[in-house]
Amino acid sequence: MEDYPEELRTPPISLVSVVGCPELHQTISSFLHAEQPPINTLALPDFSKISVLSRKQKDPLSSSHSAAGILKRDWLSKHRTRVPAAVAALFRVDCVTGDPAQWLQVCTDLENLKAVLHGRGIKLIVILVQTYANEDVNEDLKITLRKRAEIDAKYLMMLVQDDTPELKQSLTRLSSTLAELCNTYYREEGRKIRIRIEKRSFSSVELNIRYCFKVAVFAEFRRDWAEALRFYEEAYRALREMIATSTRLPPVQRLVEIRAVAEQLFFKISTLLLHGGKVEEAIAWFNRHFNSYKHLVGLDEVSFLHWDWLSRQFLVFAELLETSSAAIPNTLSSHFGTPESSLTEWEIQPAYYYQLAANYLREKRYCLDNLLSTGDSEFSRTSGKVPESVMPSVFIGQSARLVEQGDMIEVLPLSDAEYVQYALSEAQRFQDSYEIIALFRKACESFTNLKAPRLASLCSNRMAKEYFFTEDFTDAKKLFDTVSSLYRQEGWVTLLWESLGYLQECSIRLDSAKDFIEYSLEMASLPIFANGDQEIPDSKREYGPAGLPSQSRREALQSEVLSLVRGEEIVSRTDRGCSIAVTKEQPVRIDVDIISPLRMVLLVSVAFHDQSVKPGSPVMFTLSLVSQLPCSIEVDELEIEFNQPKCNFIIINAVEEISAARSNGDNQDVRIETAPSIVLPTNKWLRLTYDVKSDQSGKLECLSVTARIGKSFKICCQAESPASMEDLPFWKFEGMVQTFPTKDPVLSFSGQKVIQVEEPDPEVDLILNASSPALVGESFVVPLTVIPRGHEVYSGELKINLVDARGGGLLMSPRETDPFSSGNHHVELISISRMGDDDESRIHSDKIKKIQQSFGVVSVPDLRVGDKWSCKLEIKWHKPKSVMLYASLGYSPNSAEAARVNVHRSLQIEGKIPISITHTFMMPFRREPLLLSKVKSLPGADQNVYLALNETSILIVTARNSSEVPLRVKSMMIQSNSNKNETPYSIQHVGGVSADDSLLVPGGEFKGVFSVRPKIDSPNLELGSVCLNWNRDLTLSDSEDSGVVTEQKLPAVIVEQSPLVVSLEFPPHAILGIPFLFYIKVSNQTNLLQEIKYSLGDTQSFVFCGPHDNAGFILPKMEYVMSYKLVPLCSGSQQLPQATITSLRYSAALNPSVTATTIFVYPSEPNFFVADNEKETILAKLNL
Amino acid sequence: MIASVAVVGHQNNPLYLQSFTNANDALKLHHIVHCSLDVIDERVNNPKRSVSTLNESYLGLLYPTESYKVYGYLSNTKAKFLVVTTDLDVKDADIRSFFRRFHAAYVDAVSNPFHVPEKKIVSRTFAQRVSGIVKAFAAGTNG
Repeated sequence: MEDYPEELRTPPISLVSVVGCPELHQTISSFLHAEQPPINTLALPDFSKISVLSRKQKDPLSSSHSAAGILKRDWLSKHRTRVPAAVAALFRVDCVTGDPAQWLQVCTDLENLKAVLHGRGIKLIVILVQTYANEDVNEDLKITLRKRAEIDAKYLMMLVQDDTPELKQSLTRLSSTLAELCNTYYREEGRKIRIRIEKRSFSSVELNIRYCFKVAVFAEFRRDWAEALRFYEEAYRALREMIATSTRLPPVQRLVEIRAVAEQLFFKISTLLLHGGKVEEAIAWFNRHFNSYKHLVGLDEVSFLHWDWLSRQFLVFAELLETSSAAIPNTLSSHFGTPESSLTEWEIQPAYYYQLAANYLREKRYCLDNLLSTGDSEFSRTSGKVPESVMPSVFIGQSARLVEQGDMIEVLPLSDAEYVQYALSEAQRFQDSYEIIALFRKACESFTNLKAPRLASLCSNRMAKEYFFTEDFTDAKKLFDTVSSLYRQEGWVTLLWESLGYLQECSIRLDSAKDFIEYSLEMASLPIFANGDQEIPDSKREYGPAGLPSQSRREALQSEVLSLVRGEEIVSRTDRGCSIAVTKEQPVRIDVDIISPLRMVLLVSVAFHDQSVKPGSPVMFTLSLVSQLPCSIEVDELEIEFNQPKCNFIIINAVEEISAARSNGDNQDVRIETAPSIVLPTNKWLRLTYDVKSDQSGKLECLSVTARIGKSFKICCQAESPASMEDLPFWKFEGMVQTFPTKDPVLSFSGQKVIQVEEPDPEVDLILNASSPALVGESFVVPLTVIPRGHEVYSGELKINLVDARGGGLLMSPRETDPFSSGNHHVELISISRMGDDDESRIHSDKIKKIQQSFGVVSVPDLRVGDKWSCKLEIKWHKPKSVMLYASLGYSPNSAEAARVNVHRSLQIEGKIPISITHTFMMPFRREPLLLSKVKSLPGADQNVYLALNETSILIVTARNSSEVPLRVKSMMIQSNSNKNETPYSIQHVGGVSADDSLLVPGGEFKGVFSVRPKIDSPNLELGSVCLNWNRDLTLSDSEDSGVVTEQKLPAVIVEQSPLVVSLEFPPHAILGIPFLFYIKVSNQTNLLQEIKYSLGDTQSFVFCGPHDNAGFILPKMEYVMSYKLVPLCSGSQQLPQATITSLRYSAALNPSVTATTIFVYPSEPNFFVADNEKETILAKLNL
Repeated sequence: MIASVAVVGHQNNPLYLQSFTNANDALKLHHIVHCSLDVIDERVNNPKRSVSTLNESYLGLLYPTESYKVYGYLSNTKAKFLVVTTDLDVKDADIRSFFRRFHAAYVDAVSNPFHVPEKKIVSRTFAQRVSGIVKAFAAGTNG
């Protein structure tokens, strides 16, 4: 668009001229220019210069023939710079009113001016300039002046120079008058020509077009856009009709002229439409314009002119669209693709037109190159010389030749042959490629911003081709690489083929054999099956250096690459002087990973047949290779690499000499296998199975497989597991036979390239033993023995861990706040000690690396086969809990090697409570104190024990063996908690089984009897705790231990003063028929008089004498005795008559218990023989 | 005349692409179909689209090139159907009915129990049926 002249690019502006009074010109012209619409001013300082306005003599260059062309080149600029619509003549007032000579001069100037303007329709206006407002002009003078000038009164104006407000007013008036006059002028001019059109009073189509153009331009001067558009369209239509009819010029130049005029007309039309916001119409017009002219290529020799012109149309329209993008309404995009809109998304984008402009420019370059390369065109034969002094003619789109003949310059028309030569020489001057690249880059950037990656990559592709054409292979390769990655990702094979063909050629030109091989192999392995026998002549242009994609091309590519890697040279297809080769000095190695496109060339799947293997034992390993290359490919050597380099091995094609293969002396110790032949047919798995042996435990993974073809080419593929292998993205066809890398389908679905090499089997016994459950409180000893069987033990380390058998890990109560105190652990590892030491010396502390409550580590000395090492684990249970004991021994089988072997053992040990202790309190036999609070308390409400103050009570403690092992009780005692010497009670051991090492079998009970006599009245008397010292009947350790003390606290008791104590007295037995005495003694312990009632019921077994019911008073601290004499009537164990004693003061009644009132009645006197001293002992104890 | 028809998978990978021209413009047609996918993306993702066109499979004219027009259709499974015609003035209804028949043929082809989704269609029956539809379209527009 920049190439167009200014007057074409901008809307026309009215022109007026001012003559005389040059000091005012600046003021007037700047005022007029600032008006809306602006008016340009042609300022002439005095009347002698008015000749510039006069009609010019015919240009010597212009043809006298009126229809020698369509549009004159300078017509537009003439009306914008030289032909004013109105002339303003300025006279000073003093010149008009001054002496007659001055008046005469004014009249002459006016006459001259009128003569110049005569017959041209240019309007005249006369302005009288006053210096001050008070200068008055005679009205008669004004009329005379008007008559001279032949103008209306309103076109004679006054201008006051020095009065600013007045001046401004005058200028405003002047500008509106001038605008009106301009409008009139342009309307009249337009009307005059329009009449000619309407009357069809023109001799040729050219004139018709010219008239229409002129009318449109005059309409534009008047800002009548609708009329302008109409006449431009009319001119365009007339021009289109002219194509077939005109014969004025030789055919080539005729077409050139028509195209040039059409371009100008279309530019005007599209500018008017776009500025009016009619985007859709403008685009429709553009399409019409394009369709009208796209086939008007002309002769082959000048077809490049057509493409150049077409490209310019797109470029100019793109630029127009870009500059008026603000006028494009947003709502347009909502109905693209719908029937109501014929537009699509990209058609409103300048990038779309830039891209097409570049395309046509490319076409132009192609035609031009063709023309120049053939060099035998008809024109060059006939006239090989480029004509000189060719220049644009006065008509748009025409050229002419200047010939000097003496002083005369003559303009001669050109013949077509001359014109073509001229055009060719002109076209050669331009480097179109740079412009093409720039246009594509612009389009590409726009499309990228518009999020149209595919269109952008199309532009990149074209740009890359242009770089390729200009032999900038580095930039071309960079762009082609980006483009091909998109095609690869989306699987567009044909498009990828084209790009790869260029890349391949770029690599040759950049001398990169590696890239060349990569691109060639990728192309050869693309899924193209077309039969490409018929080579289409234009395919090189269309498809680039790669040619038409076909199966035969793929095969050719493969054989080309193979011959390259086997030492031959490859020559560039575009430049025969350029070639590449693979030499021993510069070997080529290609790496293929799991995302590489070259997976199609070689895909390696490896699978171990097992998931784990013992060290040193062989495992089957299948190596499967597949290639999609069109022909079979023979590999010379396969190198398999593992993460354990010792396992690496090489497979050699048996055809090859092993010695030749082993020329490389670096890896002499690598295992070599031989395969009969390593040939990979197309899409068919080559499966090779070998044994692999690893001595090192841990992971064994196959990393890569390198195939060597020829002496200096290697392709290294990352190994893939069949279980996790991805399909080849390009080779996904319906109906394609699915093949598996291994014959065994299970292995194909689950095979892995990794195998776990296990640890060697331990040949050391680790023995843990615990014969019985552990008992809470004791130090439980678990013996542990290490016996080497086959291995020797070096730098052994034994780890002991205690874990809760029911899970949960930690062996402590979560409620405990301080986890570090040993007491909080339910189970505790106390020590690990050597067994067999004479003394009980513990292992030196430095040997125990770490010992915690539930975890311990201890080092084991070096042991040889036949040695034995034992230790004792001492564990203490604080709570009954089931515990897993884990012992693991790690060692090295020999002193040198670092590989360690581990032996694990575990043992579950139950922790049990050995002894349960219960106790009961009792009153002495047949003695019953009245305890008031016990009477008041509800039965069963509390379990408190009530004891009477200063009365002896009996405490029976029962220890029961709840474990499964026999225990021995060493002693049982009640230990006072208080430290004072004086205890508030006295306790004495009075009886029970002897505590000296009495055996307590499982389930057996041991009872201790104690007498308790509280000495103080207390509601909460602590009686201390029961301490039971015991040990196992069969001790676990050799050492004699002092026994385990199980302690249980006795509950607190309530001690209170009893007001009354009832005791029953009668003999231990009676004899049938012999009376005995039965006393009920009630002792008043208070200082009050107590009234009691008592009664004795009848019974069949006895007769008695004494009152049935009675009452009595007991004096303070005195005793009341009720005595009855009873005669037994029946023998055997008999119940005495039921006695009831009621205290009135306390409203408490006592019914002695059944056991307390039972007596055994002998039928006759029994004979007992009791030694006196024993009798005394028993009596003494009873009396306590 | 229909120059080319294509079915493109939801990863924008070509599933079926057939040209019906004798000229050596297969590459050009590939480029045209590939670039038209940008318009489909734009149309499908454009929030400004009017409600009436939102749920419609037929996407309309996608991409006018100088000598071709590309029309698009999107199935519920996001398979894209494209047609490149050399006729510059085609009735909307004709294209719609063409796409309906093309879609039906595709549905039948992929209903084959041996067909794996997203694999290229090489079924001969499908190819014949598509050729038939293309011929019928040509006959319909010419007649």
